[in-house]
Amino acid sequence: MRSRAIGFDIVRLAALGALALSPAHAGDAAPPQVRQSPIALSASEHQAAEEFEARVREYRALQTKLEATLPKLPSRATPQQVDDNQRALGVLISAARADAKRGAFFTPDLQALVKRVLAAVLGGSDGKTIKASIMDENPGVPDLGVNDRYPDAIPLSTMPPQVLKALPKLEEDLEYRFIGERLVLMDARAHIILDFTDDVLP
Amino acid sequence: MTGSTRRLIVTTLVVAAIGFGCRGSIPVTAGPATVQASQSPAGAPIPLPNKKGSLKFTVLGDFGTGGRGQYELAAELARFHEGFKFDDVVTVGDNLYGAERPQDFKRKFEDPYKPLLDAGVKFHASLGNHDAREQRYYKLFNMDGKLYYSFKAPNEGVRFFVLDTTYPVPEQIAWLEQELSGSSDAWKIAVFHHPLYSSGGRHGSDLKLRETLEPLLIRYDVSVVFTGHDHFYERIKPQHGIVHFIVGSGGQLAAGDIDKRSALTARGFDTDQAFLAVEISGDTMYFNAISREGRVVDSGIVERRKPTGNPR
Repeated sequence: MRSRAIGFDIVRLAALGALALSPAHAGDAAPPQVRQSPIALSASEHQAAEEFEARVREYRALQTKLEATLPKLPSRATPQQVDDNQRALGVLISAARADAKRGAFFTPDLQALVKRVLAAVLGGSDGKTIKASIMDENPGVPDLGVNDRYPDAIPLSTMPPQVLKALPKLEEDLEYRFIGERLVLMDARAHIILDFTDDVLP
Repeated sequence: MTGSTRRLIVTTLVVAAIGFGCRGSIPVTAGPATVQASQSPAGAPIPLPNKKGSLKFTVLGDFGTGGRGQYELAAELARFHEGFKFDDVVTVGDNLYGAERPQDFKRKFEDPYKPLLDAGVKFHASLGNHDAREQRYYKLFNMDGKLYYSFKAPNEGVRFFVLDTTYPVPEQIAWLEQELSGSSDAWKIAVFHHPLYSSGGRHGSDLKLRETLEPLLIRYDVSVVFTGHDHFYERIKPQHGIVHFIVGSGGQLAAGDIDKRSALTARGFDTDQAFLAVEISGDTMYFNAISREGRVVDSGIVERRKPTGNPR
């Protein structure tokens, strides 16, 4: 359902922007227009994003490999099957990444990029609205750890489309979420935290 | 009808914003949906016709607490089903609050709705911000492993477009565009968690989501939008020809949260749990919002958007 593409591929976003927002789409046959990203990346930021995406792809390969060792989860499962599968996958991934530490995905370069991009997205005239959306029912938690289960008691933060457009692209079943003002990279299949970075919101 | 029970008919033809005005740049191919409503307690409710062969369903949101309010509304829903045989329940998210262990699915979903499930009623879930992503695999939510999907109702030319608005990645928006543009269904109904319009004091309208979704909903002739998130029932005055309902009152309740000064509200109800019962027959959609006590707190008729012949 989700197609894969290189992150910051503005062409893909452009189709959406053109379809949804452009005043120029007067006919069905009108081609999507290429929209330039409002946030231009420097060469070093581009490199940081590409390296991040490579790590994400590598992780996705690991997840797929480990998941293949488990009984296949049907698309119409019982809660017990879902829970068993999720927790079993979490155990396998945590074991395979037992030495994983903070910063494995969010390297210093990527942290800087994320902060700058979010500052740009939230720094506009509607930044307050976007931040309010992120912080809606998002109390945060005092402690987080890599390989921890995503806290069951707190809701998933809302990710405004403008933020998702700006962040590097992820593979299927990986998601960004905010916990308080931390940006978390989570495995949405195993329900575990892969990495996080603090104080990313301006 | 006597004066005291005289039906207050409010016919709203929202044309001002269609094709011109603040969204003047959005091509519109269909006229507005129109609403005729009876607003309790001012008037007697407009009944659901309960016609043979019509499409009947209910809408439920923000329900999965496992608490008394959810159970009592579920019991009312089951009672209601005895006289109004709906086949489907569409959920607008927050299907389970807190832990989502197997026993939670039982306590917060399977037990309260057991009479309906036993009767073969099918739930079609969307995900809210309290819902783990894994719910998409839960067979009784009929999502078939998908975070966003569409499905066609068995009759009356109705298609539902179910979105995941906590994580609206560009791919999802592109998918929506593709699905809407490829649909020739008479009724296009969008279902998702976060309201584009809401008079809620706690959450309110999701303006950034509106910016992204609304142009597509307008352009591709969506007539009705069902959402939740805010824990009350609210029918919004038609916006750009689209009728928005908030049905976040299935278990949670934010009593008194509707801003009484809001210009958006056509009808609000924030003093008790409620669900929405819907019947579609031809170009007409009848609706009744029903409280935990079985009282009709809002009712009316929506005429779907119809093509105007304007190019897309």
